[in-house]
Amino acid sequence: MKVVKISDMQISTDPNEKLVTYSLGSCIGLTLYDTEKNIGGLLHSMLPLSKKKKQRAKEKPFMFVDKGIEIMLTEMFERGAKKENIVAKLAGGARLLDKKNMFKIGRRNYVIARKMLWKNDILIDGEDVGGSVSRTVLLDIGKGKTILRINREEQEL
Amino acid sequence: MDFQELADVIQYDQGLTTNILKLVNSAYFGFSHKINSLEHAIAMLGVKRIYYLTIGSAVSPVLDKEVQGYDLSEGDLWQHSVGVALGAEKIAENSDIEAPDYTFTAGLLIDIGKIALSTFLDLDPQPVLNLAYKKNIPFNIAEEKILGISHPEAGAILLDNWNLPDELIQVVRYHHQPNELEGDKTVVDLVHIADILMMEAGIGDGQDGLNYRSCQESSERIHFDQIDEEKILVDIFTEINQLSGRFVNEE
Repeated sequence: MKVVKISDMQISTDPNEKLVTYSLGSCIGLTLYDTEKNIGGLLHSMLPLSKKKKQRAKEKPFMFVDKGIEIMLTEMFERGAKKENIVAKLAGGARLLDKKNMFKIGRRNYVIARKMLWKNDILIDGEDVGGSVSRTVLLDIGKGKTILRINREEQEL
Repeated sequence: MDFQELADVIQYDQGLTTNILKLVNSAYFGFSHKINSLEHAIAMLGVKRIYYLTIGSAVSPVLDKEVQGYDLSEGDLWQHSVGVALGAEKIAENSDIEAPDYTFTAGLLIDIGKIALSTFLDLDPQPVLNLAYKKNIPFNIAEEKILGISHPEAGAILLDNWNLPDELIQVVRYHHQPNELEGDKTVVDLVHIADILMMEAGIGDGQDGLNYRSCQESSERIHFDQIDEEKILVDIFTEINQLSGRFVNEE
């Protein structure tokens, strides 16, 4: 099992491999899986836009949802993945219990992730976002399944 | 406590001396030349800061462990704590607020009560989780209702038993309810907001997730609306690994 840390991304073609990322909080976890070639990737991004943080985005592109998805897609395609075969699943984007939302990173991460995928003609096949729970996401490369874990309970996403 | 008294106490503990020297020589303090002795460190940073760093250094092995009841793996709570400590100081810096010298250590300690409650929560977490997530009750209030005590209160009692200064105890006790702290609220406001930023970043989020409420007055008092929240998160993220490693004893 390979752990994808905060602000990181991994791609694998090894059917015995599982990619996992813990404690998503307001961050976005995205799995992309090509069902024909069995190529899978998992991204864990913390902040929505890299625009005003060019230097940081160069060093740590996966910190940002926009740059992260862009590079993830490029690398998936380089390995032979095709847009039409990609299954995308999204999790995270949690927020506090506040009624007045002063802390909006979770929502913004989600909006940017949707926008990036939409711009690339990729439909979201499953998502579990918002709320105030912390999520763990696992991608089983062999089975092509995304597993979501919330407070020790697992389900397929 | 004076200069010599503090040096005398610390220097008998070699591990502690090594840790303090490692810390003061880290990039966090940014001194241009190496500090080799405890006396030199105290002269550079002052008795009070060394005293608070000593507390931080002493609790780091405790906070570094797995906290099963909150579903936190080894190192999670420590990373979160260092992030809150760093974040509180960075917010102060960005808002032109002078952070009192116990800010960092207060940030390190806020969640120490989770260690005390862990066993109870681990036995049967469901009632607390149900109340928190199905009824949208902040996690600390759910703890209080089901377990009879919340993690901030448990932390405060723990620190009181260790005879730590009252200013630290009060910040720990009210870090989810800053308005209830009597007296100067600067530190409690700073750590309250820094705690939220770390929850958002997912650094050390456990079963309690983000199931808390923010205090709007805290945000107002420290002018949070004028701060680039994302920039602070980037800064903390850059420093957190380096600094958290500095505290923990390498045998």
